[in-house]
Amino acid sequence: MVSSAPILAARGVSKAFFGNPVLRSVSISLEPGRIHALLGENGAGKSTLINLLSGALRPDSGTIEIDGRAVSRHSPPEARRAGIAVVQQELSLTNSLSIAENIGLGAYPRRFGLVDYAALAARAKAACDLVGLHEPLATPVGELSLGRRQMVEIAKALYRKPRVLILDEPTSSLSATETRILTALLEKLRGEGIAILYISHRLDEVMQLCQHVTVLKDGTCTADRPLEGVTAAGLVRLMVGRDPGDLFPRWDSTRTERIAVSVGKFSAGLMQDVDLEVRAGEVVGIGGLVGQGQEDLLLGLYGAIPARAASAVINDASGLPSNVPQANSRGLAYVPADRKREGLHLIHPIVTNLMLPSFARMPALKLRSRAKERETAMGLALQFAIKGDLGRAAQALSGGNQQKVALAKWMPLDPSVLLLNDPTRGVDVETKREIYAMLRAFAASGKAVVLLSSDTPELVHLCDRVAVVRDGRIVSLLERGDLSEEAIVAAAMGAERERQAA
Amino acid sequence: MSHASVSSTARFGSLYWAIQAKRNIGVRGLFVVVLAFMVAYGFLFHGLFTGSGFAKFTQSWFPLALVAMAQAILMLTGGISLAIGALVSLGAVLAATTMTGPLGVAGGAALVSLVGLGIGAVTGVIVVKLRLPAIVVTLAGSFIIAGAALLVLPRPGGAIPPWLSDLLAGNTPAAFGVLVVVVLLWKLYLATPLGLSLYAAGENPVGAYRSGVPVDAARIAAYAISGLLCTGAGLFVAAQTGSGDPIIGNSFTLNSIAAAVLGGIGFLGGQGTMRGALAGSLLLSLMISVMFFLGFTPVAQYVAQGLIIIGAVAIPQFRMRAR
Repeated sequence: MVSSAPILAARGVSKAFFGNPVLRSVSISLEPGRIHALLGENGAGKSTLINLLSGALRPDSGTIEIDGRAVSRHSPPEARRAGIAVVQQELSLTNSLSIAENIGLGAYPRRFGLVDYAALAARAKAACDLVGLHEPLATPVGELSLGRRQMVEIAKALYRKPRVLILDEPTSSLSATETRILTALLEKLRGEGIAILYISHRLDEVMQLCQHVTVLKDGTCTADRPLEGVTAAGLVRLMVGRDPGDLFPRWDSTRTERIAVSVGKFSAGLMQDVDLEVRAGEVVGIGGLVGQGQEDLLLGLYGAIPARAASAVINDASGLPSNVPQANSRGLAYVPADRKREGLHLIHPIVTNLMLPSFARMPALKLRSRAKERETAMGLALQFAIKGDLGRAAQALSGGNQQKVALAKWMPLDPSVLLLNDPTRGVDVETKREIYAMLRAFAASGKAVVLLSSDTPELVHLCDRVAVVRDGRIVSLLERGDLSEEAIVAAAMGAERERQAA
Repeated sequence: MSHASVSSTARFGSLYWAIQAKRNIGVRGLFVVVLAFMVAYGFLFHGLFTGSGFAKFTQSWFPLALVAMAQAILMLTGGISLAIGALVSLGAVLAATTMTGPLGVAGGAALVSLVGLGIGAVTGVIVVKLRLPAIVVTLAGSFIIAGAALLVLPRPGGAIPPWLSDLLAGNTPAAFGVLVVVVLLWKLYLATPLGLSLYAAGENPVGAYRSGVPVDAARIAAYAISGLLCTGAGLFVAAQTGSGDPIIGNSFTLNSIAAAVLGGIGFLGGQGTMRGALAGSLLLSLMISVMFFLGFTPVAQYVAQGLIIIGAVAIPQFRMRAR
C-alpha cells in the first residue's frame, strides 16, 4: 500500500482527566493530500484528540510526531510554527474587530513596528476569496451571521498557510451554499498537498469528502482505514456497541394509561413544533447529538425558559407552567446536567441543599425547625444511599453523591414528573447503577420520567420509548421494540432510516 | 461615505481608513448629543467661542479626558480601576514638590511619568499574572497610593513654576494641543500589533491566546499606559491650581467610569472605542458645566451624575433587549 509520510501523527496517546481515561492508546496519522475523517459519539474523545494534536493538551503517555520526529514539548505556538491550524467549534473571533483584523490576529504583517494594513488587506483578501467571503474587509465581525463568522474562522486558519488543517464540525452552522464552497475548497487544498482532519456528525458529508476514517469509541480506536467500501451503516456500527454487563436493571413495562404530560406543537428555544406524550409509569428518553435543542425541551416544559404550545396538558391541568414555582406545584421537578452550577449550592451544607426545594413550599416567615429538617434529610440520605456527613459542604461529596443530592432534594415534594438532564454525566459506574435502579423504581411507583441523555446505551436499556432530536425537531420516536444503539445514532446523525422506508 | 467602494477596489492601503470609518457608526448618536450640549452650553456661556473661553473650557475638560482614556483602556481589556483618583492626586503632589526643586520641570515631569507607568505596570502584573480581580486590587491599591500621596505632601502646598501654569492653564489652548498629541499617540499605539490585540484580549481572551496573541503582555501594557495617563492628569491639575493637594483627585475615579460608560465602553471587555470614551468625557464635562451655570448645588450635581451613569448603562441594555 502506497502512502506518503504523515506530517502530523499521534502514536499510542492516552489521556485521563481526574483519573477518568478519555483516550486509551490512540494512534492517528495525517498525511498530505488526504482528507481524514474523525468520527465518534458524544464523549468518545474526539475533542481531546484534537487538543493533543494542536498542543493545547499534553498526552499522559504516547507521542506526537511532526514530520516523523517526536516533539517533546508540544504547545500551541509550537503547533503554529509547524503549520498546524485548527478551526475550533467555539469561535476565536473578536466581534469588535474587522474581518481583516480578525483574520490576521496574532500574525499581523508589520512595517516599522506597526500593523501593515496594506499587506494585511492583500493577504486577508486572498484568504477570504478562498472561502467565498465577499463582505468588505473592514466589516466588524459582530455584524456577520454565525455562518459567515465560521467562514472568517476558516479564512483565519488559511491565512497562516497551514500544512495541516484540523476542522472541528465546520459545517454545523453553515448554509448549503457555504457548505458547498467549503467542500470544493477542501478538495482544492487536498490537491495542494495539505493534510486535513475533518470532524463532522454528518455522515453523508464524510462519505462524500473523505478518503480515510478513524473511528473513536469510548476513547479507543475502533477503525483506522480507507473509506472505500464502507457504508454509512457500517460506520455507525463502529461507533456504537458496548457490553452493558449488569449495569442496567431488568426492564419491565410499568407504563399506565394515565397521561402525565402531553404537548402539541410545542416550541421553546431551539425546539420547534414538537409533539410529545409521556404516560405515568414510563421512562421516555430524549436522545440526539449534543445541543440540538433537547435541553430547551426540558426547560420549556419546566417553565424555566419561555415556551408556547398549541395544546398542553400536564397532570390533568391544561397549559404550560409559566415559571418554576408553578411547575413545582404542578408536580414537575428538574435535575440539571451541570450539577455544580445549577443543581447544587456547593459551599452550603448537604442538609441545606436537600431541603432547598422544601423551603420554597413553606410559608415565607415561618420559623424553621432544624430537627425536622435534619430528620427529613437523614431519611433522604438513607433512601438514596448518600454517603457523608450531612453538615458538610456539598462540594466535599464525590460527583456521584452530588448527583444523588441533586435528585433527592425533590423527593419531599413528591413530584409526579421528573425531568432529568443527563443525570449520569461524569458519574462513577457504581452510582450509575444506583441511579438507573432508582429511575426504574420511580417509573414503577407511577411517576413519569423524562430522561435526556448523551449516553446511548442508557437510552436503550432504561427507556420505554426514545425521542431522537435533531435540529430542534423530534426526527424519530423509537418504541421499545425498535430500540438499539444503531437506530438511535443513525437517527441522530441523519444516516437515514429513509432508506428503510423506501 | 467612501469606505464601501474603497474596500472593494484594489486600493488596499485604505483598509485602515475604512475600518476607522466603520468604528464611527456606533458613536454617531453620541456625537450628535455632544454637539447639542455644546450648542446649549454656547448659549449659556457666550464666551465659549472666543479664544480664551475655548482655552478655559478645554482646560476644565482636559484632565477628565485623560482619566476617561485611562479607564477606557482598562475596561477594553475587561478590567477596571478604582485607583484613578488616587493616582491623579499622587501625580499632582509629586509635580508640586519636585518641579521647583533640584529636579526642575523636566525632571519632575519625568518622575511623574515614571511613577505612573511603574505603579500601573505593577498593578497590571498583580491582576494579570496572579489572576486577582481588578476591582479588588485597584481598590486596595487606591488606599496605598492615596497614603503615599499624603506622605509626600500631608496638606495642600508645594508649588508649580508660574510659567508652566501659564503655559498649560493660561489663556492659550495649549491643553487642547496636548490632548490632540495624546490622541494621536493612542492611534499610533492602536496601530501596533500589541495595541490592536487589546480588543481581542478583552473580548475573547481564550480565542486570542489560541491565535497567538500575547494576551498577558497586552493587558499589562494597558495598565501601565493607564497609570501614566492618570499621573499626567495629576500634573496638569497641579499646574491648574499652582500647587499640590493630596486629595484633589478623589472625584476622578467615579467620573472616569461615568465618562467611559457614557462613551459606550462596556464592562465586559472589548466593547466600545476610545473616541467614544473621549466624547463621553466631553459630554460629562459639559453636563457638569451646564449644571454649574444652572445653579445646581454640588450635592445635586452628584445625584445627577449618579443617575446619568445608571442611565448610560441601561440604555444600551434596553436597546439590545428591544432587538
